[in-house]
Amino acid sequence: MTSVRPKLKPETPKAVTAWDTQTGQTVWMTPDGSWSLSAKDLGIFVGDAAEAKLSAARGQENKVTDPYFMEVTENGTICGRETLRENIRSNGPTVAYGKAGKTL
Amino acid sequence: MYRYDEFDATLVNERVSQFRGQVARRLAGSLLEDEFKPLRLQNGVYLQMHAYMLRVAIPYGQLGSTQLRRLAEISEKYDRGYGHFTTRQNIQFNWVELKDIPDILQDLAEVEMHAIQTSGNCIRNVTSDHFAGATADELMDPRPWCEIIRQWSTFHPEFAFLPRKFKIAVTAAEHDRAAIRVHDIGLHLKKRGETIGFEVHVGGGQGRTPVIATKVSEFVPESEILDYLEAVMRVYNRFGRRDNKYKARIKILVSETGAEEFSRLVEAEYAAQSPHEKIALPVTEIERITAYFSGPDLPARPSRSKAFDDARAADPGFDQWASVNLQPHKHAGYTSLTVSLKPIGGLAGDATTEQMMVIADLAETFGHDDIRVSHAQNIVLPHIALDDLHAIYQQLDQAGLATANESLITDMIVCPGLDYCNLANARSIPVGQDIQKVFADPAYQRDIGKLHINISGCINACGHHHVGHIGILGVDRKGQEFYQISLGGRADEKAAIGEIAGKALSQEEIPAAIKQIIETYRSHRLTKDERFIDTLERIGHTPFKEAIYAAD
Repeated sequence: MTSVRPKLKPETPKAVTAWDTQTGQTVWMTPDGSWSLSAKDLGIFVGDAAEAKLSAARGQENKVTDPYFMEVTENGTICGRETLRENIRSNGPTVAYGKAGKTL
Repeated sequence: MYRYDEFDATLVNERVSQFRGQVARRLAGSLLEDEFKPLRLQNGVYLQMHAYMLRVAIPYGQLGSTQLRRLAEISEKYDRGYGHFTTRQNIQFNWVELKDIPDILQDLAEVEMHAIQTSGNCIRNVTSDHFAGATADELMDPRPWCEIIRQWSTFHPEFAFLPRKFKIAVTAAEHDRAAIRVHDIGLHLKKRGETIGFEVHVGGGQGRTPVIATKVSEFVPESEILDYLEAVMRVYNRFGRRDNKYKARIKILVSETGAEEFSRLVEAEYAAQSPHEKIALPVTEIERITAYFSGPDLPARPSRSKAFDDARAADPGFDQWASVNLQPHKHAGYTSLTVSLKPIGGLAGDATTEQMMVIADLAETFGHDDIRVSHAQNIVLPHIALDDLHAIYQQLDQAGLATANESLITDMIVCPGLDYCNLANARSIPVGQDIQKVFADPAYQRDIGKLHINISGCINACGHHHVGHIGILGVDRKGQEFYQISLGGRADEKAAIGEIAGKALSQEEIPAAIKQIIETYRSHRLTKDERFIDTLERIGHTPFKEAIYAAD
């Protein structure tokens, strides 16, 4: 179960994000419908075209898991209520971890 | 410690093979995520913010050095060089790939480990006192009973699809270090005459509806405890709500039914069990399991150690650490030491590959191969000779593991929060780190004394904020992180749910607010020995609330 995701209006610019089924890494759909490990490559979708992209993502179960819309600006910057969450998904934890997280 | 017999080994290996097939079908696309999810959860696999997360069971928090080394190897080979010890005495790997998980489980099976009962709506890993079998203040060792309950509950056909997850904790000490009153079932070993038995508490829990458990039986003899537990589970399985997951835990059933009626239902179920259903645990079986936990053969030692005393006099860092991180042992000349996983500015409960290796080596060399994980996210070496302590301390110090803060203000329970967890609303780790920096001075910490700050990043309360002396809950306010402070919670034998102090504060405001709480305590305590929680209970919450919100 993930936290409740906000419902976005059709006209709101959005991206499609998911997890790589094999590795679990976060992925973003690119403008041509392929998948990238970087949010910098995300495609910006609106209206029926966005719904079609999400539907296509849901049809790729062996490639990606649990795709959903995330809100972005017209320039593709992560925005909206889930900004912090999506930035953390995009950039990784906000704290140093592993060896880097130890104050030796 | 318990060792697998041929049944355990077969069961675990068959589960690995089964899951390997399920993963292969998922990766091939013949199993969809909705179909696969319940299967992966039964094997401890979650999909978190950044990756799959594998939660490995550490039954009642006990490990041998071989097992800890294997966990370290897994962290290096399949993860990012560290693991996270949890409040349920387990370990989580945060960055594993699905394709690797069957191999990880096979590696675990080789050292008698698995990920069964770490997720899903089953009876989860049974937890216990991390000083069990070593501490001077227990009636007897509770671990044999944890193991007996583990064997009874693992793959129990009636209880594989409960309304919700189910957590059992066992203690045998009057001072409760296992938080039994905030578990679905809490068992406290007691003695009546020559008969061993259990005081049974049911319906405790945290989450969005925190409840202190109700005592439903003063004494269930040991031979009858599995039948009694089965009666409790059957009542829950039959009447527990399945229409609303937020009301599905047994605590809701107990509170909606009423403790008296719930107890009557359990007694009726117990009485209705037909003779062929009764487990009626034979004494020989109890003795067989108990024999695994006879403990190390500790050579007799004098109660005072000159080597220990001399080292304390010569090494101030060691002296500070020894004054904080040691627990009295039942044998003279020995102690139980806590390896703090809460360095200032670090990540609570995390240990690197190298650190796990160091602890495993120390346990093997000095600690009779016995390692415990505490629900406070630290590691314990339960059987250490005082003579060996300084050598151990020096190695821990070199590995960044000699933080002297056990049960002090910087020894916080902190959930992974929004940095890792899909459920979280707010980050927990940076908040804990900011508080630690305010109280980093060891002398200041020792002056404040024993105090538990617990931090959760959402209402699911994995960071046990409800039972922290000071609890901090992360909440979402229109996309912004805020934090609600509660006061007066405790998880011990006087278990209580903390009360919210007032409006939520921003992350930046939290360290100063905690500082205000602490200075209020220091100005009101009768003596330096009066703990924070005792001062709070004596003078009430008002002065603390006024101090937090004085600037408003």
